[in-house]
Amino acid sequence: MGIKDANAAGAAPVQYPIGLWDQFRKNLPLYAGGALLLIVQQSLMAYGDLRVRVATNSIVKGDRATAVTAAATFLGVSITAAIVRWGSRITMFTGGRNVEYELRAGLLARLHTLGGSFFRKMPTGEIMSRATNDLTQVRLLLGFGILNVIGSVAALVSALYVMGTVSGRLTLAALVTMPLLMIVTRSFSTKMFQRTRENQEAIGKMSDRVLASLAGVRVVRSFALEDAEIATFSSANAQYLEKGLSLARLRGSMGPLMGAISSVGILVVVWYGGYLIHGDQISPGDFVSFFMALLRLTWPLLALGFVASIIQRGRAAYSRLQQIYDAVPDIVDGPLPAPASVRGALRVSHLSFAHGKRTVVDDVSFEVPAGGSLAIVGRTGSGKSTIAMLLARLYPTPDDSVFLDGADICALPLRTVRASIGYAQQDAFLFSTTVARNVGYALEDADSPDAMDHVRRAAEEASVLEEVEGLPDGFDTVVGERGVQLSGGQRQRVALARALLREPPVLVLDDPLSAVDAKTEAAILEAIDRQAEDRTMLLITHRVAAARRCDRVVVLDGGRVVEQGTHDELVKNGGLYASFAEEQQIEQDLEALGAMDFAPDSSSVPLVTEGAA
Amino acid sequence: MSEIAAKSATGADKKPRKGRGAAALDKFHEEASLGESYDSRMLLRLWPFLRPHGGSMAASFLFLLLGSALALAKPLVMSGALDAIKAPGGEAALTRSGVILACLLVVEQVIAFPQMYLMQLAGARAMSDLRLHVFKFLHTRKLGFFDKTPVGRLVTRVTNDVDAINEMFASGALNAFGDLIRLLGIVVVMLSLDWQLSLIAFAAVPPVAIGVNWTRRRIRDAFREIRVKTARMNTYLNEQISGMAVVQAYAREEESAEEFNAINAAYRAANNRSIVYDSALDAAIEMVSRVCLALILWFAGVRTTTVTFGTLFAFVWYIDMFFGPIRDLSARYTLLQSAMAGAERVFELLDNKDEDAAGAKGAEDAAAAAKTAKAAGAPERAADASVPAFEMQHVVFEYKPDVPVLRDVTFAADAGEKIAIVGATGAGKSTVTAVLLRLYEIKSGAVKVFGKDVRELPRSELRSKFAVVPQDVFLFPGTVASNIAAGDAEPDMEKVTRALRRIDALDLFERREGGVLAPVLERGANFSAGERQLIAFARALYRDPPILILDEATANVDSDTEARLQRALDGAMKNRTALVIAHRLSTIRAADRIVVFHRGRVVEQGTHEALLALEGVYARLHKLQFSRTAAPPSSQTSAA
Repeated sequence: MGIKDANAAGAAPVQYPIGLWDQFRKNLPLYAGGALLLIVQQSLMAYGDLRVRVATNSIVKGDRATAVTAAATFLGVSITAAIVRWGSRITMFTGGRNVEYELRAGLLARLHTLGGSFFRKMPTGEIMSRATNDLTQVRLLLGFGILNVIGSVAALVSALYVMGTVSGRLTLAALVTMPLLMIVTRSFSTKMFQRTRENQEAIGKMSDRVLASLAGVRVVRSFALEDAEIATFSSANAQYLEKGLSLARLRGSMGPLMGAISSVGILVVVWYGGYLIHGDQISPGDFVSFFMALLRLTWPLLALGFVASIIQRGRAAYSRLQQIYDAVPDIVDGPLPAPASVRGALRVSHLSFAHGKRTVVDDVSFEVPAGGSLAIVGRTGSGKSTIAMLLARLYPTPDDSVFLDGADICALPLRTVRASIGYAQQDAFLFSTTVARNVGYALEDADSPDAMDHVRRAAEEASVLEEVEGLPDGFDTVVGERGVQLSGGQRQRVALARALLREPPVLVLDDPLSAVDAKTEAAILEAIDRQAEDRTMLLITHRVAAARRCDRVVVLDGGRVVEQGTHDELVKNGGLYASFAEEQQIEQDLEALGAMDFAPDSSSVPLVTEGAA
Repeated sequence: MSEIAAKSATGADKKPRKGRGAAALDKFHEEASLGESYDSRMLLRLWPFLRPHGGSMAASFLFLLLGSALALAKPLVMSGALDAIKAPGGEAALTRSGVILACLLVVEQVIAFPQMYLMQLAGARAMSDLRLHVFKFLHTRKLGFFDKTPVGRLVTRVTNDVDAINEMFASGALNAFGDLIRLLGIVVVMLSLDWQLSLIAFAAVPPVAIGVNWTRRRIRDAFREIRVKTARMNTYLNEQISGMAVVQAYAREEESAEEFNAINAAYRAANNRSIVYDSALDAAIEMVSRVCLALILWFAGVRTTTVTFGTLFAFVWYIDMFFGPIRDLSARYTLLQSAMAGAERVFELLDNKDEDAAGAKGAEDAAAAAKTAKAAGAPERAADASVPAFEMQHVVFEYKPDVPVLRDVTFAADAGEKIAIVGATGAGKSTVTAVLLRLYEIKSGAVKVFGKDVRELPRSELRSKFAVVPQDVFLFPGTVASNIAAGDAEPDMEKVTRALRRIDALDLFERREGGVLAPVLERGANFSAGERQLIAFARALYRDPPILILDEATANVDSDTEARLQRALDGAMKNRTALVIAHRLSTIRAADRIVVFHRGRVVEQGTHEALLALEGVYARLHKLQFSRTAAPPSSQTSAA
């Protein structure tokens, strides 16, 4: 594809360290540099405060020259401190972003190795929430969190140093309320977290309600349930409002309470400080610089309060991520080397598979010689799609049950199996990129000149070429969520083209006709015939019209093989397959009848009017 | 917009995506970047929802002003005391000032709570009203609107987008307007204390303001880019996960990882850019108060008239106060932005014109009247038998212009009559239901129910006369009972049980854990298609309407359930008008009359025997389904 980033040049994502501590160590230079900058900045702040003391005293005494020098120094120091502060934040936050970047890349790399059984256990939404929300929490921990821990400690030391230099007793007086401030902050952030969660649950319930009401809008309309729906929504809405207001009360009382506590501190300082000035125990300059340091102290103390919850949440989030990092891939390479070439003879012997306790495939055996074709026919839920997935090792195929050219596929390299047994799934999943890139998904270099020829040929073979060329941007039309909506039949044929382009020795097509009209069906069936001439073909279908084109047919019911033979044999047998044939013939005839023209005024079929009002 | 386009173009340079399709792809992804969303018109449109809670808001603003005034007084009080401290009686002055200061502090914090809370109260209530409004609005849209709009997007409008607006109130971002007044007050007080000193202090403000503004614009651009990159990254990741089988089957893991790396790196780069600006802003704002102070100290040293200690101290305090709100400004600005973006999306939805035509004018009153009529029972069933229960006269209907689905359809059902509609796929059978219930508007002709044109009846009255059992049953989350008693806040358990017993399904549900109170998961996923169908039947009987419509109601059930349902059907249809729409002829034997549809027209009607004798479309349909095999075809229905 030729898309490579300078950042990725060093190591593949698979090798990124995924431990929290490893990541910290990897970015240690950034963190150490940031810490150093923070210490420098806070030292400059302290020095600045002390310059203010000199300046103020000089002004009060009338020593103008000293005042001007001190003020100028203070100005310089302040600007330098700001620049250093800028640098410290950039370094620290960059560390956090680096961690996020590598952990995210590592996450996808891990997901790529996991099989269908993992994704059955953990739904997409759940994984996405971990990849977004939880990863954000980890980033906050290793960026904002570290910055605040080091920054707060440095600020604390710096401010206390200035205050202590001025007056030990005044410092003690000023700090009287500080423990209270920290305790209150902590208890508030715990409560806040809890009420926020309750609030989230309430909105979740409400949105479920809205979803149901809108998804079932036909029922709502048919039964005139609008008023009832509005009443139900109203009560969910009111509950959410109540939760929201309870959060508001907490938010509303937090500010004043904190304000009150810190105000008491300031009041004590101002009063007692005034008293000390009055008694000539401290100078006005002392007082001003002390006050400045005190104002600087409030933020780090608040930060220490909530930094605890950042750490807590970051660790909890990481442990959720770990569930993905630590998942053990159940589908791995086998010990055998990749064979030089694959002929495509496929043998399935005593294949059984279960999802948890539910047996889906039960002791299935069949054989397809290289270049032969086989149809697997059965109702929905008979296990035919699971067999297709097992052949491509997308589910953990049991050992010694599927053989490619006589070799157990579990003993072969995974890449060999998946490259040899091309599998096109039933629900045509397309990526939200162009049609050309979707069809050319298997191409090594999708941008090479002859790539387009392959793509066009495959599209033609899947009889979708004409329609694609009719799209607004032809092959460059973007499919998917927000793009031009392809019809279900078009999607399916684009997916089919994607599979055909690969030209694998064994082609497994899972229900390629489920969403196409009769005309397209005929075209696809012809394409399947052509494909079957060149390779081993496995067709998963419920359509007899498709199955009859294969050399042999296997009929599944409840995960077991109930019939096996050629189309003609099975139709004569009068079993399940024969009844499918019968049923589908009726459907087809009905459709044909529906397409015929019977006008009400047609002389061939007179309209009976006796019952009309 | 051109600015964004330029930015995105430079952004695209970073990833060397060459070859065809690249331009189209980039265009597709950049579409996600939104234009400038702040718009004062949005505030204007929010006003009707805020007005009922204007009192709370006004009170909150009043408290805000009062609090600002108190805050302004604090340094003044102290400044006086500090100036007097060396004079005789300085200690007494200090004590007096201390007491005053304490009082100021107490009042300031006491009013801070109602100030915050009243604002949040007003906002939360207004947004609750807005949510309800949007929800009601959605239920007045045409059905076609839902066919073309993804439900997930609508849910987001009602929940997340309204929440984004609410955050504006909840976070105190609106206090920014109050802060402006506070800033003004600080400037005035400082000027009155010592105008020269003040001007010197504020000399630092304009260059800093320009710098801050420049940085903020960069931050806004960076944020916009981040939003696009975030969306892109999440889309890609989401796709990788849901399309994992394809990725693995095509062995594209390494290529995907590479592609994702580029996206992930672009995301990091965008964030790192914003970090630089964001940190610069943070440092600049942190610095500016100290720079102001340095200027004051310098000027106090240079100037001939002396500056008193008290004034100097007051200035230190005021300057800190002045820059506090400015520090919050960027965070508040971001919140306002996202609130306005949310408002824009909500109001865009509310601008939708696809309103479902209500009944006649004054439908509200009529609906109320209909409710009382419904409460009094359904007199129509006993009504004049000479009026048909429903009739269609020369009805033409089309979903898309010039593609008629019903062409000049005319037929009627007498009260108590059982009518069946048959025909091949696509003959227009199911559309009859939609038209009878006026889910869609007909193009021409007339539909009458109990003698009244459906366009003259309020929707709720019209629909209360029907119960439909569709092919695809939709269940609401709740219980079996609450689904059967759809529309009733409290299910009448007596009626629920009776309805289930009438279709011979009571035992089936009572055997389940929880019985009829067993929970129904999202979309009824924990019930089989047959069980869902049975619940739909019970739902119809619970309602006990004069007209029952079965729309392919037995198409999805297995043969056991179908046998069970066939027995129940006769009982269900007793004493009411029934319309059975069927693809399979085996389900319509109980019909008094059969109407045959073909390509949107009525081609034949009559009894089963008469139609067979006619040897027309019905006869051919019948032959297709029954002549081929001795066994009844119903036993093999679930092959498809």
